[in-house]
Amino acid sequence: MSTPVITEPASNPAAEPAVVTGAPTAAQRVTSFMPVIALVALLAALTIADPDFLTQRSLTAAVRTSAPLVVLAAGATLVVLCGGIDLSIAALCSLSTVFFAMWLPDLGGLTILVAVAAAGAIGAVQGIAHVVLRIPSFVVTLGGMSIFSAVALVISDAGPIRVIDRDATGWLNLYVAGYLPMSFFVALLVVAVISLIIKLTPLESFVRATGYSESAARLAGTPVDAVKVAAFTVSGACAGLAAVMLASRNFSGSPTMADNLLLPAVAAIVVGGTAITGGHGSLWRSLAGALVVTLLRVGLPIVGVPSAWEQILYGAIIVAAVALTLDRSKVLIIK
Amino acid sequence: MTSVTTNLQDGPAPVNALEVRGLVKHYPGVKALDGVDLVVRQNEVLGLAGENGAGKSTLLKALVGLVRPDAGEIWVRGEKVKLRSVVDAADHGIGMVFQEQSLVPNLTAAENIVLGSEGAGVRRGIYRWDTMRKLAQEQLDKIGSHIDPLARTDSLSFADRQMVEIAKVLRIEERTSNPPVIILDEPTSVLESAEIETLFTQVRRLREFASVVFVSHRLDEVLDVCDRVSVLRGGQSVGEVPTAGAEPADLHRMMIGSTGSDDHYHEGLAEHSDEPARPRLVVKSMSGSTFRDVDLEVRAGEIVGIVGVHGSGREDVCRALFGAEPTLSGEVTLDGEKLDLSGTRGAVASGVGYVPAERKIEGMVGPMSVADNMMLTKQKARCTGPMVVPKKQATLVDQWIERLSIRTPHRGTQIGRLSGGNQQKVVLARWLVAGDIRLLLLDHPTRGLDIGARSEVYRLMRELANSGVATVLLADSLEEAIGMSDRIIVMNDGRATKEVSCPSGGKPTPLDLVKEMV
Repeated sequence: MSTPVITEPASNPAAEPAVVTGAPTAAQRVTSFMPVIALVALLAALTIADPDFLTQRSLTAAVRTSAPLVVLAAGATLVVLCGGIDLSIAALCSLSTVFFAMWLPDLGGLTILVAVAAAGAIGAVQGIAHVVLRIPSFVVTLGGMSIFSAVALVISDAGPIRVIDRDATGWLNLYVAGYLPMSFFVALLVVAVISLIIKLTPLESFVRATGYSESAARLAGTPVDAVKVAAFTVSGACAGLAAVMLASRNFSGSPTMADNLLLPAVAAIVVGGTAITGGHGSLWRSLAGALVVTLLRVGLPIVGVPSAWEQILYGAIIVAAVALTLDRSKVLIIK
Repeated sequence: MTSVTTNLQDGPAPVNALEVRGLVKHYPGVKALDGVDLVVRQNEVLGLAGENGAGKSTLLKALVGLVRPDAGEIWVRGEKVKLRSVVDAADHGIGMVFQEQSLVPNLTAAENIVLGSEGAGVRRGIYRWDTMRKLAQEQLDKIGSHIDPLARTDSLSFADRQMVEIAKVLRIEERTSNPPVIILDEPTSVLESAEIETLFTQVRRLREFASVVFVSHRLDEVLDVCDRVSVLRGGQSVGEVPTAGAEPADLHRMMIGSTGSDDHYHEGLAEHSDEPARPRLVVKSMSGSTFRDVDLEVRAGEIVGIVGVHGSGREDVCRALFGAEPTLSGEVTLDGEKLDLSGTRGAVASGVGYVPAERKIEGMVGPMSVADNMMLTKQKARCTGPMVVPKKQATLVDQWIERLSIRTPHRGTQIGRLSGGNQQKVVLARWLVAGDIRLLLLDHPTRGLDIGARSEVYRLMRELANSGVATVLLADSLEEAIGMSDRIIVMNDGRATKEVSCPSGGKPTPLDLVKEMV
């Protein structure tokens, strides 16, 4: 098609400024670095409270603990970026630890792949239910959460299943270069690979357009439904991988093993600065958020806060983080 | 009470029923009002003319307290006022008959008339039906209407409902001892010609005891019923004309500005070949939830406008052709091939493009960059294999920024920071970057744009048509539909009822179309 250049100047250029002013404000810039600032501040505070904290041993232990949370939050971040939420991740993760422990004797080393694939498939089913039946994602995954917990209880006879064969996951307890726990390395790899795939392909604009404005994305002809199902699939698969990490660390699978990770995972996402309304954010942010949450978790006993207070803290930081990151002036209706 | 006041040389005369001085209102990216002045004298009908986006609606909203101006003054009968709400405005005797009717359909006419100003109609929280009916009847008598006050509002004709609205607005007389100022916003847009006459009689009657501000797209009507006309353009007052002896063309020239050429719609650019082009889009008895048995044919290089009143179903037809609205039956072919309309993906793959009316919500993704918005649909054009190639994208996007003179500091700038016209050009470019566009569906492509930007969109439409693109246009106004289209389809209650040929040099008038629309 040969469209000639339009040379005629606008007849009334003064009436319409070409660009509306709006460089990011100082507050916005601080918000965007918030997770890293929080991480450093927290490390400093904990070191002051207990100078022994800043040792290789305790830091290694901290990142090792954080690995399943990082993976769980990374997967769910994708769903949040698409404008939805996946509340089933923790329950699906628990169910997957049961799968893993049950299948390990028969499948051996393959169990890892099979468990991740099974969890991914379950995630996909939730995604399909969301887009085909047009049910809000939080309802689908809330239902999923309840169902997965119950299934896990039923098939495990409501008790832990011991992992006898420790060879299949023994490698997860090794260290890369002597210091970096393998499980955390895998978590980093997951974040890096997913981020890279999104960054280098049209997926980034699909995901962001879907999250910012689903109707605009749909009317631009982008594959909104496929992108959403993919996000739920990855979220499910990540829950499966987190389950493998948990089972290898605890040498067992249990129907409630990961249940207390839902709030920390959501906290990691919002503390990282990913907008709960969709569109804005990244998996790297959730990595930083997960580290903040983990430091809080291991740090509370150091400063003498009883662990029963932990849940109060998660609740408070989720609300506070959303209050800080959500530009409420632009959101007309808060549901 | 005397009719038109006779003072000719009015200074800062307190006799003015309403006076607006230097009113300014900013919206993000747009200066809706840029120092508007307006004088409404006692017992006169003042016309307010201006194109879409000239600032009429904002001005009217400021006059009834729905919009708070950033600067400027409003004087009512020589007294400076601040209008914070509709009630405030009513206390000063200003009332408006809204474009979209504000009556509650399942209440009676009487209930609607006194709604919000029940007065003696309610005692101790209980409706006094007799008093209420009496109050309503008084209002109806004022305007000489014979509507039964006990009729349910939704059983009344559109014209009758408008009378009820006027009767309702006149209740503001109870709040002030002064003669009221009544604003009529596009009162004729959905009336038949007989009804329009009734309305005009009504307006002339209102002048006996009130001042009227009359807003209409139809310049002949404005000249017919008003004493004076004030013209707005780009948020500024560009002049006042007494209607005696004025021609619609004079007003139109003022509305679009002296800098605009007479060929506002770039008709000179339209190419005409003697042999008719092959039909590109063929729609055979397409039905959906809001339209039935629609037949439509658009040839390559042709612009076909669809006009119809609110509820005619034309928007849904447009969306259905893009697969964004379900079709129940019918056959749609593009260049002889069946078009898959089960979703938007099929239409996009076949070279169909759609520019939605709600640009900010449906057209663009505000926080994303110009480049991402432009490349959102035709991803293949910026990719090699599955990967986005930044260099490829930069070249292509910059090329289109230049071709369409999109004013943006950079391709990476957030589209939300551009002005409306430039945003719209990016949305249009989305369908052009791959060079595979065959059919363009434009749903109010110039909504909210200023005159300069609109002119550029018109020119682009012409150029696309000349290159063989078939276009379906849902225009912002009848004038625009007539100016841009080669043919016009009139839709009525979900059916295509009339086809009007619209060649350059043989254009129908808006009134010709209105007759078919209602």
